[in-house]
Amino acid sequence: MSENSKLSRREVVLRLASTGLAAAAVGGGALAFHNRQGRTTAARAVPDWRMPGVSGLPPAVAVRGPDPAGNVRRAVEALGGMTRFVKPGEVVVIKPNVGWDRLPEQAANTDPHVVAELVRLCRGAGARKVIVTDNSCNDPRRCFARSGIGAAARESGAEVVDTTAAVWAPAALAGYSTGLEVMEHVLAADRVINVPVVKHHSLSRVTIGMKNWMGVVGRGRNRLHQSIHRAVAELGAMFRPTLTVIDATRVLMANGPTGGSLGDVRAVGAVAAGIDPVACDAWGAAQMDVDPATLPFLAEAEQRGLGRGDVRAVKELG
Amino acid sequence: MTWTQRVRILYQAFFLLLFVWLLARLAAGDLRDLPFSMFHHGDPLSAVGLVLAAGTLPGALVWAAALIALTLVFGRVFCGWICPLGTLQQLSSWLFSGRSRRESLEVNRYRRWYALKTYILVALLVGALAGTLQTGWLDPLSLAARGLASGLWPALPTGKPVPGGWLAAGLLLAILVASRFIPRLFCRAFCPLGALLGAFARFAVFRIHRREEGCSACAACRFACQGADEPLGAHRVQECHVCLNCLPACPTSVLRYTALPPLPPTPPEPDLSRRAAIGTALTTLAVAPLLRAAGGGRDAARPDLIRPPGALPEGEFLEQCVKCSLCQQACPTGALQPAIAQAGVEGFWSPVLVPRRGWCEYACTRCGEVCPTGAIARLTPARKTGYDGGEPVRIGTAFVDRGRCLPWAMGTPCIVCEEMCPTDPKAIWFEEVEERGRDGRIVRLQRPIVDPRRCVGCGICENRCPVGERAAIYVTSVGESRDPLNRMILPRSWRPVVRPRAPRHGGLGCSFPVRADDPDIAFFPPRR
Repeated sequence: MSENSKLSRREVVLRLASTGLAAAAVGGGALAFHNRQGRTTAARAVPDWRMPGVSGLPPAVAVRGPDPAGNVRRAVEALGGMTRFVKPGEVVVIKPNVGWDRLPEQAANTDPHVVAELVRLCRGAGARKVIVTDNSCNDPRRCFARSGIGAAARESGAEVVDTTAAVWAPAALAGYSTGLEVMEHVLAADRVINVPVVKHHSLSRVTIGMKNWMGVVGRGRNRLHQSIHRAVAELGAMFRPTLTVIDATRVLMANGPTGGSLGDVRAVGAVAAGIDPVACDAWGAAQMDVDPATLPFLAEAEQRGLGRGDVRAVKELG
Repeated sequence: MTWTQRVRILYQAFFLLLFVWLLARLAAGDLRDLPFSMFHHGDPLSAVGLVLAAGTLPGALVWAAALIALTLVFGRVFCGWICPLGTLQQLSSWLFSGRSRRESLEVNRYRRWYALKTYILVALLVGALAGTLQTGWLDPLSLAARGLASGLWPALPTGKPVPGGWLAAGLLLAILVASRFIPRLFCRAFCPLGALLGAFARFAVFRIHRREEGCSACAACRFACQGADEPLGAHRVQECHVCLNCLPACPTSVLRYTALPPLPPTPPEPDLSRRAAIGTALTTLAVAPLLRAAGGGRDAARPDLIRPPGALPEGEFLEQCVKCSLCQQACPTGALQPAIAQAGVEGFWSPVLVPRRGWCEYACTRCGEVCPTGAIARLTPARKTGYDGGEPVRIGTAFVDRGRCLPWAMGTPCIVCEEMCPTDPKAIWFEEVEERGRDGRIVRLQRPIVDPRRCVGCGICENRCPVGERAAIYVTSVGESRDPLNRMILPRSWRPVVRPRAPRHGGLGCSFPVRADDPDIAFFPPRR
């Protein structure tokens, strides 16, 4: 008995060593996972997609005519052509308004011809990939189908990413640090083109370009309405597009932003394009007879130095 | 493996994959007009149940007659060759059980209590006759669809949570686990559709026949028998799944599957006692009204019982809904959820719209398109929205909770509900006020007000309301088109005549082809 219960030195060392290893594993694991700050997810930075201005060229132009695609072509041409904005091999995100399960005639979404023409111009300039995307308010599959934008984008060579396939990243607005999401594939783009439609909106009076960024933001966006003019200006400060193209082919004059009746739609037949998003929004407001000077979000955006909230900054080419 | 078995396995794989694929496409919101409810259209249990409960056989359910005809010719080939739940059980029994040959012989013996399924069938059909359609609980097609789509898919990375889905998953998994111990236990002992088809299979033209001379009574035919129908003794044709495993198993080749074979001298009766059958029927007659009354009854409309657009009035709805959950899978926003407590015991697992989970998409009519029994009527988008000039189909009415609403109670601008409202003119309008806040500053507020004459109850306002868990605007079922008594506002004809609004601006046509051949996409709004 006494011999059996006697431990050899070797066994003592081995057993104590394994105890020590277990203790070290527990302690090391606790140190590795210990976090005094608690879990936070850092907001992702939004890249600046702008291109420098070119002297001699206007910051924004507007074109009128019966053919929406032709209007887009002429407007982009007047700004120096798409090759000024998109370089070969780049990934371009085009962000129209595809918010609603409505037909093009109802003017709740961007005109599909305008989107298709922009896709073609980007492809022509050598873009490696063109993505057309929006965070629709209605069922995204229906919105992209009934608006005609899904088919138009695909037929002209773009990839369509709706929110059934989107991946979200945490985002932050100034003074609004948590609880907001932004689309991952938008953050990953080399160039971004904002293609809003001009519409009535009961809260912000008009919804045009800077408010169109609501469509790359995900959960949490419905709280932004509590200070809509600040929110639109902050969105404009966060997202700096390469190009803004305002679709005023049809303008929704009432019951926006959803519309419905064709009686609410005014045929304007115009498109504006520019590198000054504030001027573009001012021009859009003027298309629905709203004086840009009465829109607080334009004043806020001007104060932030995002552009000139003045219709005269947009050169009318007729 | 003989060629008959190979062909059967091909059939089983084809129908299982088709069933799962259609269900998956439906849940993924595929906008194509695929035959999503084809399996359910051919379901004789639903068809017979509906005829007994509602006295009608709606539309495509007549395909059930084709399956009965098939059974009258070939026996229960549906069970052995088509039924996805049968195939899943066979798969589970083949994959997970390591039975010895002796155990297989024992486990495939017929047992008297397999007659339970016939009592279940009697109870369900008598219940249907008493006006409560509960066939969907155990109908293998409804059960498999529920279990897969509401029970298991929510666990996939792209799945949406379904409250109560665990019940559907639990039942399906229990059936598959049971099949590991006794192959196709659900088919043999519980399936009311199998019992119904078995009643027709007794008249089948083609059936298994055993030649007496040359049979060594070795029982090898029982080794892989799916239906436990004992080809060795007096063959029970009403139990036979026509899997045809017995034919190649016979060492002396005395078994044949053939047309109009001589019948055994004393064909086995189902193990059904007349006393027990009558008892089951009488009990059901007593329990059916109890279920209804104790479940809450049908008379009082319930605020949270928001049915899909086009749903029949509640009484008729419960006589036609087979709880297959196809509408719940079809709903593009995930608004349709299984009723756990909202619809009483009778309406368990019938569809209700839960606006905090999704909303009724304004021009979407998917739920009615896939409903196999017409419990949800087929609508066109023009009919549903009222763009055809009629009254829109309403499923409820929205109410502002002025104690929670930001502009009403918190001095904070918002009106996201008004922004989302899909009707034209919007059902949500607002009054503009200037309010002095606690700090003395003046805030201009737009306070949302619901116009119940315009509201269709779609619930997108409740869904998008920024007030976290319980929204400050909510939909209840009052005003639903289907119930003429669940109303609050006088009909349109009693209201003073309003001149229609003239178009204010000229329109501009769009030549872009928006799938003009698809009426669901290309329906056109009126020029009001």
